[in-house]
Amino acid sequence: MRAQPVNRISEKGLKVWRLYGIMQTGLLLLVLLGGGVLAYIFEAPRWFYIVAAAVVIVFAYFFIYLFPKVRWLRWRYEVRESEIELQHGIFIVKRTLIPMVRVQHVDTAQGPILRRYNLGEITISTAATNHTIPALVMEEADELRSRISVLARVAEDDV
Amino acid sequence: MSCGAGFPFLQGWRKMMSETRYKLHWITAIIEVLKTAKEAILPIIVLVFANGLNDVGSGKWYLDYLSFIIFGVLMIMFFITGIIKWKRFEYWFEDNELRIEYGLFIKKKRYIPFDRIQSLDYTEGILHRPFKLIKVKVETAGSSSPKKAEAELTAITKAAANRIEAEIAMAKVGKKIVLQAEDGEQTEEVRMAEKIPSKSVFKMTSKGLLILATTSGGIGIILSGVGVFLSQFAEMIPFEWMYEEVSGFIKFGLLVVAIVVFLGFVFVWGISVAMTFLAYYGFSVSLESEDIVITRGLLEKKRMTVPLRRVQSVRIIENPFRQLFGYASVVIDSAGGGGAEGAKISLFPLVKKADISGPLKEIFPDLILEEPMGKLPARGKHFFYRIDFLWMIPVIGVITYFFYPYGLLSLLIVPVIILFGLWQHKSAAYGISGNQLTIRFRNFSLQTAFLMKKRIQSMEMKQNHFHKRKRVATLAAGIKSGMSIFNAQVHHMEESEAERILSWFEPSLKNQEREQG
Repeated sequence: MRAQPVNRISEKGLKVWRLYGIMQTGLLLLVLLGGGVLAYIFEAPRWFYIVAAAVVIVFAYFFIYLFPKVRWLRWRYEVRESEIELQHGIFIVKRTLIPMVRVQHVDTAQGPILRRYNLGEITISTAATNHTIPALVMEEADELRSRISVLARVAEDDV
Repeated sequence: MSCGAGFPFLQGWRKMMSETRYKLHWITAIIEVLKTAKEAILPIIVLVFANGLNDVGSGKWYLDYLSFIIFGVLMIMFFITGIIKWKRFEYWFEDNELRIEYGLFIKKKRYIPFDRIQSLDYTEGILHRPFKLIKVKVETAGSSSPKKAEAELTAITKAAANRIEAEIAMAKVGKKIVLQAEDGEQTEEVRMAEKIPSKSVFKMTSKGLLILATTSGGIGIILSGVGVFLSQFAEMIPFEWMYEEVSGFIKFGLLVVAIVVFLGFVFVWGISVAMTFLAYYGFSVSLESEDIVITRGLLEKKRMTVPLRRVQSVRIIENPFRQLFGYASVVIDSAGGGGAEGAKISLFPLVKKADISGPLKEIFPDLILEEPMGKLPARGKHFFYRIDFLWMIPVIGVITYFFYPYGLLSLLIVPVIILFGLWQHKSAAYGISGNQLTIRFRNFSLQTAFLMKKRIQSMEMKQNHFHKRKRVATLAAGIKSGMSIFNAQVHHMEESEAERILSWFEPSLKNQEREQG
């Protein structure tokens, strides 16, 4: 068995994903409330309300509780001298290996919600592919970005 | 500055770093007009038909002929803009750069440093022929837009194209030749000296060309094209009138209908054969120092240059039908160039499988053309078709429900899908030899991709829950292909083998080995 990459992403990332889940559930709730009003006007059978409520509860369980948790537990990364290794994915676990020599540039980005939690995401680009580590403490993301860019500059192609 | 634009031969080369500005040949204006007209032709036809076919005269001539007036005005406008575009287009050489100035309303300038120019691709269209002109596409390392080449000179003389090539070659060599000559003769000599002898590697035989044309997969594209075309015109076809004709026609018997449909297919196929024949006529590949040069085409001659160091992968593709007769095709992925055409380049469109290794070795001496030996484990077999039941069961259910007795025939899809999955499982293979990873997989055609380690951008190993239980994994190697990415994947292979390939790709493990050894 291959050893997992050592670093986890910030625990606050889990909070942010839960927040996203709450927002999505809220949106779904709004849609279904609208449907409920229509159902009331057109005198829909009672099972309609039960199904709608069940959908919201199941959705909330998955998107607020389960998926963020699994996703967070799964997310690991490691930046070594000559390569970057990532592991992520809820259903399909993906292990990605990016040699330092192939790294073309590194970006950090911070949206409004991430900023509230002082988080940032870091995107590593090769000539053809992009890889994003989603939630790191901003200082860590900045530090990682400069470290990768230094390592990428030093790394030499020997094949 | 723009002195002597019309007489490049008399005034060019007077000063080496001169800013003599060159213009394109006047045929550019006509090509430009035709290009715009081609794009506008369908709306115009619709307009003319929609307007021009009603006989109700309104009494005012300009209303009756409105569509024709619009048509005429548009054509004149196209013509004028074409001429202006041509008049405004200028290119010149300055500071080791190719500089271009163009634009209809807004003057745009584009400076391309010679070192960044990767290749010049030549196309010789029908309109170019009588004047001995060519279209030159300038390709750079990282074209910003995937659709367009960095710069396009629509029509220039061959001598002018050679001059550009010579300028670039000189800049690349880094020598500055001071020319004292006042006349154009000197340029010819310089050009001759710069030319490097090329070596022919591959030529398509007329038999090969015929087989390629007749087995070309272009049929599907053309059929769908016809479909689109018909759907465009569906509203204009007088169905009511046709209905009587058609009902009488059907009485003729189903046989006649079948024959007509068949003839239609033959006709479409004939077009596809002819198009492939024209496009691939005289296909030849040659090596020129560090570049692969591909020439092809009968009516429109194309000459494409691919620098060897930009080649990212070599792939052998075997279509099952051609495989039967022992034929395969070879494509390469290039990092440069824009879009679909630039990325995946047909190197040998059709070649006997036994004859591949010779010419391929000549182009890529480092390539190891071994058959990949690693096969997939039997316990991963069912992954190739099990997921398909997710869509098969509902589809079969619905079809059976609605067309009860005959709908059951849809069950036949199950063995077909399973057999296809087993075929994919059996075809897949992988192998590592030195710094090269060979991956073989089947979508419908069998593909064998040869990837050098230094060309693989990133590698990914994917596993879901069921994969883990069976200790299998999917491995994907990402290769740059033009603006996008080509993923060579081995599905559902042995987990430990996938990890071994990942370790092979891991640079730090290699470094450790070196330190220990």
